[in-house]
Amino acid sequence: MIFYDYILSPSCYRVRLFAAVIGRRLDLRAVDFHPGQEHRSDAMLALNPAGTLPVLKDDGIVLTESTAILTYLAAHDAPAWLGDDTPVMRARVAQWLAFAQRLTDSAGAARAHDMLLAPGDIDALRAEATTALRELEAALSAARRRGESFLAGNRPTIADIACFPHVALAPDGGLPLDPYPSIRLWMRALRGLEGFIEMPGIHRLHELLPEPGPMPDVIRKERA
Amino acid sequence: MTTDWTPAALSRDIPAASAAPGQLGETDLAIWRSASGRIAAWSDRCPHRGMRLSHGFVRGERLSCIYHGWGYGEGGQCVRIPAHPELTPPEAIKVPVFAAAEASGVVWVADGTPAGAPPEFPGFEGFRSLRIHAPATVLARAFGGAGHVIEGTLGPCAVVALIQPLPGNVSALHLLAPEGAGPATLDALSLAAEALRRTAEAQAEQAEEETA
Ligand SMILES: N[C@H](CCC(=O)N[C@@H](CS)C(=O)NCC(=O)O)C(=O)O
Ligand code: FES
Repeated sequence: MIFYDYILSPSCYRVRLFAAVIGRRLDLRAVDFHPGQEHRSDAMLALNPAGTLPVLKDDGIVLTESTAILTYLAAHDAPAWLGDDTPVMRARVAQWLAFAQRLTDSAGAARAHDMLLAPGDIDALRAEATTALRELEAALSAARRRGESFLAGNRPTIADIACFPHVALAPDGGLPLDPYPSIRLWMRALRGLEGFIEMPGIHRLHELLPEPGPMPDVIRKERA
Repeated sequence: MTTDWTPAALSRDIPAASAAPGQLGETDLAIWRSASGRIAAWSDRCPHRGMRLSHGFVRGERLSCIYHGWGYGEGGQCVRIPAHPELTPPEAIKVPVFAAAEASGVVWVADGTPAGAPPEFPGFEGFRSLRIHAPATVLARAFGGAGHVIEGTLGPCAVVALIQPLPGNVSALHLLAPEGAGPATLDALSLAAEALRRTAEAQAEQAEEETA
Protein backbone atom coordinates (compact mmCIF):
# COMPACT_ATOMS: atom_id res chain seq x y z
CA MET A 1 0.00 0.00 0.00
CA ILE A 2 1.42 3.37 -1.06
CA PHE A 3 0.61 6.25 1.27
CA TYR A 4 1.08 9.87 0.18
CA ASP A 5 1.87 11.64 3.39
CA TYR A 6 2.68 14.98 4.97
CA ILE A 7 4.18 14.82 8.44
CA LEU A 8 2.38 17.89 9.87
CA SER A 9 -1.06 16.93 8.54
CA PRO A 10 -3.45 15.66 11.23
CA SER A 11 -5.46 13.83 8.55
CA CYS A 12 -2.33 11.99 7.40
CA TYR A 13 -1.42 11.26 11.01
CA ARG A 14 -4.78 9.52 11.50
CA VAL A 15 -3.67 6.94 8.97
CA ARG A 16 -0.04 6.62 10.11
CA LEU A 17 -1.20 6.22 13.71
CA PHE A 18 -3.79 3.59 12.87
CA ALA A 19 -1.37 1.65 10.64
CA ALA A 20 1.17 1.65 13.50
CA VAL A 21 -1.37 0.47 16.06
CA ILE A 22 -2.58 -2.46 13.90
CA GLY A 23 0.91 -3.26 12.61
CA ARG A 24 0.24 -2.50 8.94
CA ARG A 25 3.32 -1.48 6.94
CA LEU A 26 2.74 1.47 4.59
CA ASP A 27 4.99 2.46 1.74
CA LEU A 28 5.31 6.17 2.65
CA ARG A 29 5.72 8.86 -0.01
CA ALA A 30 6.42 12.25 1.56
CA VAL A 31 4.64 15.05 -0.33
CA ASP A 32 6.03 18.57 -0.02
CA PHE A 33 2.70 20.11 1.00
CA HIS A 34 4.17 23.24 2.56
CA PRO A 35 5.81 25.26 1.14
CA GLY A 36 6.16 23.16 -2.04
CA GLN A 37 2.41 22.84 -2.84
CA GLU A 38 3.26 19.46 -4.31
CA HIS A 39 -0.24 18.18 -3.56
CA ARG A 40 -1.38 20.44 -6.41
CA SER A 41 1.14 19.08 -8.90
CA ASP A 42 -0.17 17.35 -12.03
CA ALA A 43 0.96 13.99 -10.72
CA MET A 44 -0.89 14.41 -7.41
CA LEU A 45 -4.00 15.94 -9.02
CA ALA A 46 -4.13 12.95 -11.34
CA LEU A 47 -4.42 10.79 -8.21
CA ASN A 48 -6.70 13.13 -6.27
CA PRO A 49 -8.50 15.86 -8.21
CA ALA A 50 -9.46 17.49 -4.90
CA GLY A 51 -5.82 18.28 -4.26
CA THR A 52 -5.84 17.18 -0.64
CA LEU A 53 -3.78 14.78 1.42
CA PRO A 54 -3.74 11.99 2.43
CA VAL A 55 -4.02 9.61 -0.51
CA LEU A 56 -3.75 5.82 -0.31
CA LYS A 57 -3.12 3.67 -3.35
CA ASP A 58 -3.48 -0.09 -3.28
CA ASP A 59 -4.18 -2.75 -5.90
CA GLY A 60 -7.20 -1.48 -7.80
CA ILE A 61 -8.10 1.39 -5.49
CA VAL A 62 -7.22 5.02 -4.77
CA LEU A 63 -8.67 6.56 -1.59
CA THR A 64 -8.60 10.29 -0.82
CA GLU A 65 -10.62 10.50 2.39
CA SER A 66 -8.75 9.65 5.58
CA THR A 67 -11.83 8.08 7.18
CA ALA A 68 -12.29 5.83 4.11
CA ILE A 69 -8.61 4.88 4.39
CA LEU A 70 -9.11 3.96 8.06
CA THR A 71 -12.13 1.85 7.08
CA TYR A 72 -10.13 0.09 4.38
CA LEU A 73 -7.14 -0.66 6.61
CA ALA A 74 -9.40 -1.95 9.39
CA ALA A 75 -11.43 -4.16 7.04
CA HIS A 76 -8.19 -5.44 5.49
CA ASP A 77 -6.16 -6.16 8.64
CA ALA A 78 -8.04 -5.52 11.89
CA PRO A 79 -11.84 -5.77 11.51
CA ALA A 80 -12.49 -5.42 15.26
CA TRP A 81 -11.61 -1.72 14.84
CA LEU A 82 -14.67 -1.25 12.60
CA GLY A 83 -16.87 -1.66 15.69
CA ASP A 84 -19.38 -3.87 13.91
CA ASP A 85 -20.54 -5.81 17.01
CA THR A 86 -24.10 -4.45 17.13
CA PRO A 87 -26.24 -2.08 15.04
CA VAL A 88 -25.82 0.58 17.73
CA MET A 89 -22.04 0.30 17.87
CA ARG A 90 -21.75 0.37 14.09
CA ALA A 91 -23.93 3.47 13.89
CA ARG A 92 -21.95 5.19 16.63
CA VAL A 93 -18.76 4.60 14.65
CA ALA A 94 -20.38 6.14 11.55
CA GLN A 95 -21.63 9.07 13.62
CA TRP A 96 -18.20 9.88 15.05
CA LEU A 97 -16.45 9.40 11.70
CA ALA A 98 -18.71 12.13 10.32
CA PHE A 99 -18.06 14.21 13.45
CA ALA A 100 -14.33 13.91 12.71
CA GLN A 101 -14.98 15.90 9.54
CA ARG A 102 -16.57 18.65 11.65
CA LEU A 103 -13.35 18.74 13.67
CA THR A 104 -11.29 19.04 10.47
CA ASP A 105 -13.49 21.91 9.28
CA SER A 106 -13.41 23.81 12.61
CA ALA A 107 -10.45 23.01 14.90
CA GLY A 108 -8.34 21.91 11.91
CA ALA A 109 -9.15 25.08 9.97
CA ALA A 110 -8.39 27.23 13.05
CA ARG A 111 -5.00 25.54 13.36
CA ALA A 112 -4.29 25.98 9.64
CA HIS A 113 -5.20 29.65 10.05
CA ASP A 114 -2.84 30.15 13.00
CA MET A 115 0.06 27.97 11.86
CA LEU A 116 -0.03 28.05 8.05
CA LEU A 117 -1.69 31.46 7.65
CA ALA A 118 -4.63 29.85 5.84
CA PRO A 119 -7.57 32.19 5.24
CA GLY A 120 -10.69 31.96 7.42
CA ASP A 121 -12.85 33.78 9.97
CA ILE A 122 -10.89 32.71 13.04
CA ASP A 123 -13.56 33.69 15.60
CA ALA A 124 -16.24 31.75 13.73
CA LEU A 125 -13.93 28.73 13.35
CA ARG A 126 -13.09 28.74 17.06
CA ALA A 127 -16.77 29.06 17.98
CA GLU A 128 -17.63 26.03 15.80
CA ALA A 129 -14.72 24.09 17.23
CA THR A 130 -15.79 24.94 20.80
CA THR A 131 -19.29 23.63 20.05
CA ALA A 132 -17.78 20.41 18.72
CA LEU A 133 -15.37 19.99 21.66
CA ARG A 134 -18.21 20.54 24.13
CA GLU A 135 -20.27 17.88 22.37
CA LEU A 136 -17.33 15.49 22.53
CA GLU A 137 -16.74 16.25 26.22
CA ALA A 138 -20.41 15.62 27.04
CA ALA A 139 -20.40 12.33 25.12
CA LEU A 140 -17.19 11.13 26.76
CA SER A 141 -18.39 12.06 30.24
CA ALA A 142 -21.58 10.04 29.53
CA ALA A 143 -19.40 7.17 28.30
CA ARG A 144 -17.43 7.27 31.56
CA ARG A 145 -20.71 7.02 33.51
CA ARG A 146 -21.40 3.82 31.57
CA GLY A 147 -17.92 2.56 32.37
CA GLU A 148 -16.68 3.03 28.80
CA SER A 149 -13.50 4.84 27.76
CA PHE A 150 -14.05 5.23 24.02
CA LEU A 151 -16.50 6.79 21.57
CA ALA A 152 -18.34 3.69 20.39
CA GLY A 153 -17.99 1.41 23.40
CA ASN A 154 -15.49 -0.17 25.72
CA ARG A 155 -12.74 -0.57 23.15
CA PRO A 156 -11.21 1.87 20.66
CA THR A 157 -12.43 1.93 17.04
CA ILE A 158 -11.46 3.84 13.91
CA ALA A 159 -13.82 6.59 15.15
CA ASP A 160 -11.49 7.35 18.09
CA ILE A 161 -8.49 7.36 15.77
CA ALA A 162 -10.27 9.73 13.35
CA CYS A 163 -11.23 12.25 16.05
CA PHE A 164 -8.02 12.15 18.08
CA PRO A 165 -5.51 14.22 16.02
CA HIS A 166 -7.54 17.39 15.54
CA VAL A 167 -8.59 17.33 19.18
CA ALA A 168 -5.04 16.84 20.45
CA LEU A 169 -3.75 19.66 18.22
CA ALA A 170 -6.62 22.06 18.96
CA PRO A 171 -4.37 24.26 21.18
CA ASP A 172 -2.36 25.12 18.03
CA GLY A 173 -5.51 26.88 16.79
CA GLY A 174 -6.05 28.86 19.99
CA LEU A 175 -8.37 26.26 21.54
CA PRO A 176 -6.98 25.20 24.93
CA LEU A 177 -8.09 21.78 26.15
CA ASP A 178 -7.95 22.67 29.86
CA PRO A 179 -11.78 22.88 30.12
CA TYR A 180 -12.35 19.27 29.05
CA PRO A 181 -11.53 16.65 31.71
CA SER A 182 -13.17 13.72 29.93
CA ILE A 183 -11.42 14.56 26.67
CA ARG A 184 -8.14 14.60 28.57
CA LEU A 185 -8.74 11.12 30.00
CA TRP A 186 -9.81 9.79 26.58
CA MET A 187 -6.66 11.18 24.94
CA ARG A 188 -4.66 9.60 27.74
CA ALA A 189 -6.17 6.20 26.96
CA LEU A 190 -5.37 6.62 23.25
CA ARG A 191 -1.84 7.88 23.89
CA GLY A 192 -1.26 4.74 25.92
CA LEU A 193 -2.31 2.34 23.12
CA GLU A 194 0.15 -0.38 22.24
CA GLY A 195 2.03 0.70 19.11
CA PHE A 196 1.09 4.40 19.48
CA ILE A 197 3.29 6.73 17.43
CA GLU A 198 3.81 10.47 17.82
CA MET A 199 3.59 13.42 15.47
CA PRO A 200 5.01 16.90 16.17
CA GLY A 201 2.81 18.31 18.95
CA ILE A 202 1.42 14.96 20.11
CA HIS A 203 3.41 12.82 22.49
CA ARG A 204 2.87 9.35 23.81
CA LEU A 205 2.12 8.61 27.41
CA HIS A 206 5.01 8.73 29.88
CA GLU A 207 7.63 9.27 27.28
CA LEU A 208 10.46 11.74 27.51
CA LEU A 209 11.38 13.76 24.48
CA PRO A 210 14.99 13.57 23.43
CA GLU A 211 17.08 16.46 24.85
CA PRO A 212 17.41 18.69 21.78
CA GLY A 213 14.51 20.10 19.80
CA PRO A 214 11.92 22.10 21.73
CA MET A 215 8.38 20.81 21.89
CA PRO A 216 5.88 22.75 19.78
CA ASP A 217 4.17 23.49 23.09
CA VAL A 218 7.15 25.47 24.27
CA ILE A 219 7.35 27.36 21.02
CA ARG A 220 3.69 28.19 21.49
CA LYS A 221 4.29 29.50 25.02
CA GLU A 222 7.19 31.64 23.87
CA ARG A 223 5.19 33.07 21.00
CA ALA A 224 2.25 33.98 23.26
CA MET B 1 -5.63 36.51 47.24
CA THR B 2 -7.83 34.98 49.91
CA THR B 3 -6.85 32.06 52.08
CA ASP B 4 -10.29 30.52 51.56
CA TRP B 5 -10.69 27.21 49.77
CA THR B 6 -11.50 27.46 46.05
CA PRO B 7 -13.06 24.51 44.19
CA ALA B 8 -10.69 23.72 41.30
CA ALA B 9 -11.58 20.26 39.95
CA LEU B 10 -13.50 17.08 40.62
CA SER B 11 -11.67 14.18 42.24
CA ARG B 12 -13.00 11.73 39.63
CA ASP B 13 -11.36 13.72 36.83
CA ILE B 14 -7.86 13.24 38.26
CA PRO B 15 -7.27 9.50 38.68
CA ALA B 16 -4.20 8.12 40.45
CA ALA B 17 -0.87 8.79 38.72
CA SER B 18 -2.14 11.63 36.55
CA ALA B 19 -1.89 15.41 36.33
CA ALA B 20 -4.40 18.01 35.14
CA PRO B 21 -4.39 21.76 34.61
CA GLY B 22 -6.21 23.94 37.13
CA GLN B 23 -6.52 27.52 38.23
CA LEU B 24 -6.43 29.54 41.43
CA GLY B 25 -7.33 33.13 40.62
CA GLU B 26 -4.70 34.27 38.12
CA THR B 27 -2.35 31.42 38.97
CA ASP B 28 -2.07 28.40 36.65
CA LEU B 29 -1.92 25.14 38.60
CA ALA B 30 -0.83 21.59 37.97
CA ILE B 31 -3.18 19.47 40.06
CA TRP B 32 -1.90 15.94 40.31
CA ARG B 33 -2.48 12.70 42.13
CA SER B 34 0.33 10.37 43.12
CA ALA B 35 0.20 6.61 42.56
CA SER B 36 -0.80 6.17 46.20
CA GLY B 37 -3.66 8.67 45.76
CA ARG B 38 -2.34 11.86 47.34
CA ILE B 39 -3.63 15.05 45.71
CA ALA B 40 -1.41 18.13 45.29
CA ALA B 41 -1.69 21.56 43.66
CA TRP B 42 1.49 23.19 42.41
CA SER B 43 2.39 26.09 40.20
CA ASP B 44 2.06 24.98 36.58
CA ARG B 45 5.52 26.27 35.61
CA CYS B 46 8.52 23.97 35.67
CA PRO B 47 11.41 25.82 37.39
CA HIS B 48 13.74 24.63 34.63
CA ARG B 49 12.33 26.20 31.45
CA GLY B 50 8.73 26.94 32.29
CA MET B 51 7.03 23.96 30.61
CA ARG B 52 3.57 23.27 32.02
CA LEU B 53 3.88 20.65 34.72
CA SER B 54 0.26 19.66 34.11
CA HIS B 55 1.54 18.09 30.87
CA GLY B 56 3.95 16.05 32.96
CA PHE B 57 3.78 12.47 34.11
CA VAL B 58 3.53 10.84 37.49
CA ARG B 59 5.65 7.94 38.62
CA GLY B 60 5.06 6.83 42.17
CA GLU B 61 4.99 9.86 44.45
CA ARG B 62 6.76 12.13 41.99
CA LEU B 63 5.65 14.50 39.23
CA SER B 64 8.06 14.79 36.30
CA CYS B 65 8.22 17.45 33.64
CA ILE B 66 7.50 16.21 30.12
CA TYR B 67 10.25 18.37 28.65
CA HIS B 68 13.57 17.33 30.21
CA GLY B 69 12.23 15.01 32.84
CA TRP B 70 13.14 16.90 35.99
CA GLY B 71 11.35 15.13 38.82
CA TYR B 72 9.68 16.85 41.77
CA GLY B 73 8.60 15.27 45.05
CA GLU B 74 7.29 16.23 48.49
CA GLY B 75 6.83 20.00 48.86
CA GLY B 76 7.66 20.67 45.20
CA GLN B 77 11.34 19.91 45.76
CA CYS B 78 13.32 18.92 42.68
CA VAL B 79 14.71 15.47 43.42
CA ARG B 80 16.01 14.33 40.07
CA ILE B 81 17.64 15.81 36.97
CA PRO B 82 17.96 12.97 34.43
CA ALA B 83 20.81 14.64 32.52
CA HIS B 84 22.83 14.63 35.80
CA PRO B 85 21.69 11.53 37.64
CA GLU B 86 24.58 11.76 40.14
CA LEU B 87 23.62 15.28 41.23
CA THR B 88 21.47 16.03 44.27
CA PRO B 89 19.43 18.98 42.95
CA PRO B 90 19.93 22.20 44.96
CA GLU B 91 17.21 22.95 47.49
CA ALA B 92 16.46 26.21 45.68
CA ILE B 93 14.95 24.30 42.75
CA LYS B 94 11.44 24.05 44.07
CA VAL B 95 7.96 24.38 42.57
CA PRO B 96 5.67 26.76 44.50
CA VAL B 97 3.12 24.63 46.32
CA PHE B 98 -0.49 25.44 47.21
CA ALA B 99 -2.82 23.87 49.74
CA ALA B 100 -5.01 21.09 48.32
CA ALA B 101 -7.69 18.96 49.97
CA GLU B 102 -10.63 16.81 48.88
CA ALA B 103 -14.17 16.76 50.21
CA SER B 104 -17.37 15.36 48.67
CA GLY B 105 -15.47 14.49 45.49
CA VAL B 106 -14.19 18.03 44.95
CA VAL B 107 -10.56 19.14 44.86
CA TRP B 108 -10.21 22.41 46.77
CA VAL B 109 -7.13 24.60 46.60
CA ALA B 110 -5.89 27.62 48.53
CA ASP B 111 -2.98 30.01 48.73
CA GLY B 112 -1.74 29.84 52.30
CA THR B 113 -3.30 27.80 55.08
CA PRO B 114 -7.08 28.05 55.34
CA ALA B 115 -8.55 28.05 58.85
CA GLY B 116 -10.58 24.86 58.46
CA ALA B 117 -11.23 21.92 56.18
CA PRO B 118 -13.11 22.47 52.90
CA PRO B 119 -16.90 22.07 53.06
CA GLU B 120 -18.63 18.69 52.89
CA PHE B 121 -21.95 18.13 51.14
CA PRO B 122 -23.30 14.89 52.59
CA GLY B 123 -25.26 12.82 50.09
CA PHE B 124 -23.64 14.49 47.06
CA GLU B 125 -20.76 13.53 44.82
CA GLY B 126 -18.82 15.15 41.97
CA PHE B 127 -20.67 15.00 38.64
CA ARG B 128 -19.23 17.27 35.92
CA SER B 129 -17.03 20.35 35.60
CA LEU B 130 -18.00 22.76 32.83
CA ARG B 131 -16.24 25.87 31.59
CA ILE B 132 -18.64 28.73 31.04
CA HIS B 133 -17.90 31.93 29.14
CA ALA B 134 -19.76 34.13 31.60
CA PRO B 135 -18.73 35.89 34.83
CA ALA B 136 -19.53 34.07 38.08
CA THR B 137 -22.25 36.59 38.99
CA VAL B 138 -24.07 36.04 35.69
CA LEU B 139 -23.79 32.27 36.03
CA ALA B 140 -25.14 32.36 39.60
CA ARG B 141 -28.07 34.50 38.50
CA ALA B 142 -28.83 32.20 35.54
CA PHE B 143 -28.95 29.36 38.05
CA GLY B 144 -31.35 31.37 40.19
CA GLY B 145 -29.01 32.02 43.10
CA ALA B 146 -26.10 34.08 44.29
CA GLY B 147 -22.61 33.49 45.60
CA HIS B 148 -20.18 30.70 44.80
CA VAL B 149 -21.85 27.78 46.57
CA ILE B 150 -25.47 27.24 45.56
CA GLU B 151 -27.70 24.39 46.63
CA GLY B 152 -30.71 24.10 44.37
CA THR B 153 -32.40 22.12 41.64
CA LEU B 154 -31.16 21.66 38.10
CA GLY B 155 -33.24 19.70 35.60
CA PRO B 156 -34.28 16.41 37.20
CA CYS B 157 -32.59 16.62 40.61
CA ALA B 158 -31.16 18.46 43.56
CA VAL B 159 -27.59 19.64 43.01
CA VAL B 160 -24.80 21.60 44.61
CA ALA B 161 -23.31 24.13 42.19
CA LEU B 162 -19.79 25.32 43.00
CA ILE B 163 -18.89 28.35 40.93
CA GLN B 164 -15.25 29.16 40.42
CA PRO B 165 -14.49 32.61 38.98
CA LEU B 166 -11.71 32.48 36.39
CA PRO B 167 -9.75 35.27 34.71
CA GLY B 168 -11.34 36.98 31.71
CA ASN B 169 -15.04 36.85 32.64
CA VAL B 170 -15.02 33.07 32.57
CA SER B 171 -16.27 30.64 35.24
CA ALA B 172 -15.99 26.98 36.01
CA LEU B 173 -19.10 25.20 37.21
CA HIS B 174 -18.31 22.18 39.38
CA LEU B 175 -21.56 20.31 39.70
CA LEU B 176 -22.37 17.81 42.45
CA ALA B 177 -25.22 15.31 41.99
CA PRO B 178 -27.04 13.13 44.52
CA GLU B 179 -25.07 9.99 45.36
CA GLY B 180 -26.42 6.95 43.57
CA ALA B 181 -28.56 8.86 41.04
CA GLY B 182 -29.46 6.61 38.09
CA PRO B 183 -28.06 6.90 34.55
CA ALA B 184 -31.24 8.45 33.08
CA THR B 185 -31.29 11.12 35.79
CA LEU B 186 -27.62 11.93 35.24
CA ASP B 187 -28.03 12.11 31.45
CA ALA B 188 -30.88 14.58 31.96
CA LEU B 189 -28.82 16.55 34.47
CA SER B 190 -25.98 16.77 31.97
CA LEU B 191 -28.35 18.22 29.37
CA ALA B 192 -29.73 20.68 31.94
CA ALA B 193 -26.20 21.82 32.73
CA GLU B 194 -25.51 22.42 29.04
CA ALA B 195 -28.74 24.42 28.80
CA LEU B 196 -27.74 26.47 31.86
CA ARG B 197 -24.43 27.21 30.16
CA ARG B 198 -26.18 28.42 27.01
CA THR B 199 -28.44 30.69 29.09
CA ALA B 200 -25.57 32.16 31.12
CA GLU B 201 -23.44 32.73 28.03
CA ALA B 202 -26.31 34.39 26.16
CA GLN B 203 -26.94 36.68 29.14
CA ALA B 204 -23.25 37.54 29.43
CA GLU B 205 -23.10 38.34 25.73
CA GLN B 206 -26.18 40.53 25.99
CA ALA B 207 -24.77 42.40 29.00
CA GLU B 208 -21.54 42.97 27.09
CA GLU B 209 -23.41 44.38 24.10
CA GLU B 210 -25.36 46.72 26.34
CA THR B 211 -22.22 48.16 27.93
CA ALA B 212 -20.40 48.35 24.58
N1 LIG C 1 -10.13 14.45 2.31
C1 LIG C 1 -9.82 14.93 3.64
C2 LIG C 1 -8.76 15.99 3.49
C3 LIG C 1 -8.11 16.37 4.77
C4 LIG C 1 -7.46 17.71 4.61
O1 LIG C 1 -8.12 18.75 4.70
N2 LIG C 1 -6.16 17.71 4.36
C5 LIG C 1 -5.43 18.95 4.25
C6 LIG C 1 -4.07 18.77 4.84
S1 LIG C 1 -4.19 18.49 6.63
C7 LIG C 1 -5.27 19.29 2.79
O2 LIG C 1 -4.90 18.45 2.01
N3 LIG C 1 -5.56 20.53 2.38
C8 LIG C 1 -5.39 20.93 1.00
C9 LIG C 1 -5.21 22.39 0.87
O3 LIG C 1 -5.53 23.10 1.83
O4 LIG C 1 -4.74 22.83 -0.19
C10 LIG C 1 -9.36 13.77 4.50
O5 LIG C 1 -8.76 12.86 3.99
O6 LIG C 1 -9.61 13.80 5.72
S1 FES D 1 11.32 22.60 31.36
FE1 FES D 1 10.80 21.16 32.84
S2 FES D 1 12.50 19.86 32.87
FE2 FES D 1 13.08 21.36 31.44
